[in-house]
Amino acid sequence: MAARKAGLALKVVNKIIIRFCPFEPNSRSVREFLTLVTSRKVRDSNKKCEIVTEVKHDSSEPAVDITFLDGEQLIMKTKNLTSKEMILALQNVCIAKEPQGKPGDM
Amino acid sequence: MAATLCGRLLPKSGWVPLTQNVRHGSKAVTRHRKPLHILKQKLLAVTEYIPPKPRAPPEALVPRRKWTQMEHPLANLLRKDLENVFEENKLIVVVHYNAIHTDDLTRLKLRLKKHDIRIRFFPNQVTRAFLNNSIYCNLLPLVCGKTVLFISKQAKVKEMLQTMKHYPEMVLLGGCVENTLMSYQGIVSYSKLQSIGVIQGQLVSDLTMITSQTHSLLRHHPVHLSALLQQHVKQKEPVDVDDTVGQEAAA
Repeated sequence: MAARKAGLALKVVNKIIIRFCPFEPNSRSVREFLTLVTSRKVRDSNKKCEIVTEVKHDSSEPAVDITFLDGEQLIMKTKNLTSKEMILALQNVCIAKEPQGKPGDM
Repeated sequence: MAATLCGRLLPKSGWVPLTQNVRHGSKAVTRHRKPLHILKQKLLAVTEYIPPKPRAPPEALVPRRKWTQMEHPLANLLRKDLENVFEENKLIVVVHYNAIHTDDLTRLKLRLKKHDIRIRFFPNQVTRAFLNNSIYCNLLPLVCGKTVLFISKQAKVKEMLQTMKHYPEMVLLGGCVENTLMSYQGIVSYSKLQSIGVIQGQLVSDLTMITSQTHSLLRHHPVHLSALLQQHVKQKEPVDVDDTVGQEAAA
């Protein structure tokens, strides 16, 4: 709970690729997620984390592809997700992967 | 004691005290609220006070005035400014901007200013209000979240893209170049186009090349036919010579 309140930390994240088509109305949540993830605090938590944005125009669904340091991948198809849900999902995975995280925290 | 009391209480002799069988009846004064007798209940119900209904207020008969939200004068001013921007500029690009240092933003502004490209911030509400009622309504989905406009009177797209390469915080979404709505890919391919003069020269050279081939095209068939006939003649010549030699030997 304390880790959640502290905010999103990208210590265990290697790369984040955000793909969206800006002319589609369903890309709103992905853009909000992009704004949150590229904020100063979150970026300072891991300066080596690469955040790549791919802008497309092929009516494809927006997606977020996260690669962690241990090689695991998290793909979120964000057509029907809100930015808060995405952040929570990422936060949960990061907390679970953090070596300092206690197993009984959840 | 009882005899003396009886003597005082009953002065008349020979008078038998009344034997009253007093039933244990209910008390009048109770600690709880006693239920009313049914007759009393009926009486109270019939004689209940009904207050007169107040008349409907005069405002209820006439429909209420609706408060229409007046456009903020500053929003009106910005919207007119945006109209001018779209009229006067050839290049209007919508860019999504993430957190960027003020120094980096200043440097970006300076680099773009060298190519006569300006960065303008407009509130999304104003931009949406303008785009809704204009021919650029297809740009509406782009205006969401933190957006900024890059505008220029000249369509220097290549220089703009080269400058933006160094600033990954600015994400190009799409825009309007020379009155044509373009996506990111469209803007990139536009930047790869050569200048009009070069394209015109290429077109002229292609046309002249076609017209120069007319003479060779007309001559092509007779030339080909003559070449074939010559080859046929050459092939036939040794056969004729051999024939004549063979006939002489036979003779």
